[in-house]
Amino acid sequence: MVVDKSIFDIFDMVGKHLVRQGLNTSHSGNISIRSGGKIIIKRRTGMLGNLKPEDLVETSLEEEDSGSLIASTELGVHRAIYLQTDAMAVIHAHVPYCVALSLIEDEITCIDAEGFALYKKIPIIDVEIPAGAYYTSIEVPKVLKNYPFVVVRGHGIFAKGMTLEDALQYVTGAEQSAHIRYLTLLTEKPLKRDFSKEKDFSSW
Amino acid sequence: MKGMNNSLLEINLSKQEVNDLPLSDEILNDYIGGRGLGVKLFTDRIAPQVDALSPENVMIFTTGPFGGTSIPTNGRFSLVTKSPLTHGIFYSNSGGFFAPVMKKCGFDGILIEGTLKQPGYILINGDEGATIKDASSIWGLDTEQTLRKLKEVEGDKIHVLSIGPAGENLVKIAAIMNDADRAFGRGGVGAVMGSKKLKAIVVKGGSKKTEVNDPELLKKFVKVAMDKIKVVPITRISLPKMGTAALVNVINTLGMLPINNFQKGYDERAAQVSGEAIEKQILQKDEGCFACPIRCGRMTKAGDMEGKGPEYESVWALGPNLGIYDLITVTQANYLCNKLGIDTISCGGSIACGMELQEKGLLKDNDLKFGNAAILKELVKKIAEKEGIGAELSEGSAYLAKKYGTPDSAIHVKGLELPAYDPRGAVGHALGYATSTRGGCHLTGYLASLEIFAAPKKIDRFTIAGKPDLLALKQNQKATEDSLVICAFAGWALGLDYYARLLRAITGIEYDVMELTKIGERIYTLERLFNLREGIGKEADTLPPRFLNEPLKEGFSKDNVVPLQKMLDQYYYVRGWDENGVPKPDKIKQLGIEFS
Ligand code: SF4
Repeated sequence: MVVDKSIFDIFDMVGKHLVRQGLNTSHSGNISIRSGGKIIIKRRTGMLGNLKPEDLVETSLEEEDSGSLIASTELGVHRAIYLQTDAMAVIHAHVPYCVALSLIEDEITCIDAEGFALYKKIPIIDVEIPAGAYYTSIEVPKVLKNYPFVVVRGHGIFAKGMTLEDALQYVTGAEQSAHIRYLTLLTEKPLKRDFSKEKDFSSW
Repeated sequence: MKGMNNSLLEINLSKQEVNDLPLSDEILNDYIGGRGLGVKLFTDRIAPQVDALSPENVMIFTTGPFGGTSIPTNGRFSLVTKSPLTHGIFYSNSGGFFAPVMKKCGFDGILIEGTLKQPGYILINGDEGATIKDASSIWGLDTEQTLRKLKEVEGDKIHVLSIGPAGENLVKIAAIMNDADRAFGRGGVGAVMGSKKLKAIVVKGGSKKTEVNDPELLKKFVKVAMDKIKVVPITRISLPKMGTAALVNVINTLGMLPINNFQKGYDERAAQVSGEAIEKQILQKDEGCFACPIRCGRMTKAGDMEGKGPEYESVWALGPNLGIYDLITVTQANYLCNKLGIDTISCGGSIACGMELQEKGLLKDNDLKFGNAAILKELVKKIAEKEGIGAELSEGSAYLAKKYGTPDSAIHVKGLELPAYDPRGAVGHALGYATSTRGGCHLTGYLASLEIFAAPKKIDRFTIAGKPDLLALKQNQKATEDSLVICAFAGWALGLDYYARLLRAITGIEYDVMELTKIGERIYTLERLFNLREGIGKEADTLPPRFLNEPLKEGFSKDNVVPLQKMLDQYYYVRGWDENGVPKPDKIKQLGIEFS
């Protein structure tokens, strides 16, 4: 199946962005959209920074089919997210600052003004075997029901959106907030203004 | 369920009976309130093929669990009935102050059936319940006169739903006015009320407070929601400053402002009736519904008349769509529609259709031509009184165009005239028109929000990929929002992730976005099943042929037509409907719907 050029162009743009910004390695990460009641997802081993039209696979939302044979190894997580949440697009990326903070914190509080206003906090979950679809497909959708993204400890981020660009904004926004938090932690100095203290998002 | 009174006022006009109808937690959990609750009660009660203007039709006004709390824009409520214009299920939504008072009186809504022998009105008097009173002295009055007269009788602190002469005369595009300046506008619901000889419903007093499970948590979440409304430009600046008419210039620039009955998508004169022009020339002050920080309403003065509006859809329907760019005339025609109780969109749509028929030489009326502002106010009056050409226009554009042998000249879906976005400029929005359960409506899924205003996110307006999926999701979620009940304009800033948290604070029940979406899907599917039973199915999921075959010739939406069939097949598949648009048995079962 060859997807519409308009769809390929969006995958290509988002894939290049993820790799060029250092949010994925040459072969890591995967991206998908929901379209016409099916999933269009990157093919296994396809390189996000160098996608070809044949690297996109259309497959069923609910059952195994020939598309599942060649789709990304994390197809099961994407399927679970689409079936259990309102996601129209999903990005999985190995964002370094989110991953680094996930190894020392239980949730990433956004202390910068932008992150605080848009995202409030970035949830982190522990998964028994992080890299691989089975366990993540159970745990990730539970969080994405109420949040736009979730970081799997030591592994990477899953973000949903109404479009791939939307999900990309969540990925890059979360990483930006994590980056700022990481840098301030390095200084070991008290914050002059901590946006996260200005409102109580504990129950959000 | 916390947040609700678990009680509806049930009134049989024929028997002059007034009862409390208890609402079970089960029905509220499955359908929440507002539109969902109304749709459930309506479909349970009404028999197949009932004439919309007969005593057997039912009208159900309902509020939801957000009503009467501190949640922004919670003052809205729903009406569900059968439409004499579309002959299908019809839900409508209105703001103002009526709903919070109704809820304080102890009722989540009012269910009305039967017909009075003589004109009457319903008085809901605080904790004392409801009575039916004689309305012979106000029958025939316009909605402003009715409000004034009722205030003399019942006191100043009342809120009133009423019909004007149009509703009394069973005009198929008649509205129900809410305190004379807001409306249950569309679908001819005013005629349904008129057919019941019910001139008005009055509420006053009441002392019941909406019970909230965790007031502190609600306060916290409301603060977060208010902050978001204050940072999003549309809710912070555009709507408060220019009202909804702020859209005129935006839509015109995109080449999708319908001109002369959707024959063009751009006219530079549209700026003369824009939000900016209203602000400069006629605005007196802004105005808002109960608990609304956005305040999109406009109190205006046009020539020697004063009133409310015009909103975007009204200024377009009575202006550019008729080739009229005189702001004073358009505003005065809008005031007249409010006074006489007429839906401005369908009024403009029917007149525009008549003008196109005249242009084609089919309708012999030399005055009825595009750009003739001089006849507009007179035409509105004739429609309300069903006088001369007004009698034909009062039946709606589908009737009119069919009568003159060119059904394609009526710009409608399922009998309801289309609002102010040319579907050739936004294909997802176009699919929304075609598949809306209430007919040609922009609010049912409102993909224009994403395709045009990038709110909350931008999606390409001409790409079809993913649109059926996104539209189905948004239609479901809108059905939920209409059931909570919250204003669509809050949706520019907020969304179901906010609403799920607010509902959790009110009810103590752990809702998430998908559960709320599923409730919306249940409501939408039930509406579809009702329409199918009434004979409204796949053949009605379409658009006027010009949108499928004739591209616009100029502007930023030119050379495009709507690729409807491809999107429609996918849409049915996404929804779990068969190729004829009929929900499959396993989908009905999965949603827990019982309907036959
Ligand atoms: S935004 Fe406008 S319509 Fe909505 S509640 Fe506020 S004033 Fe009413």
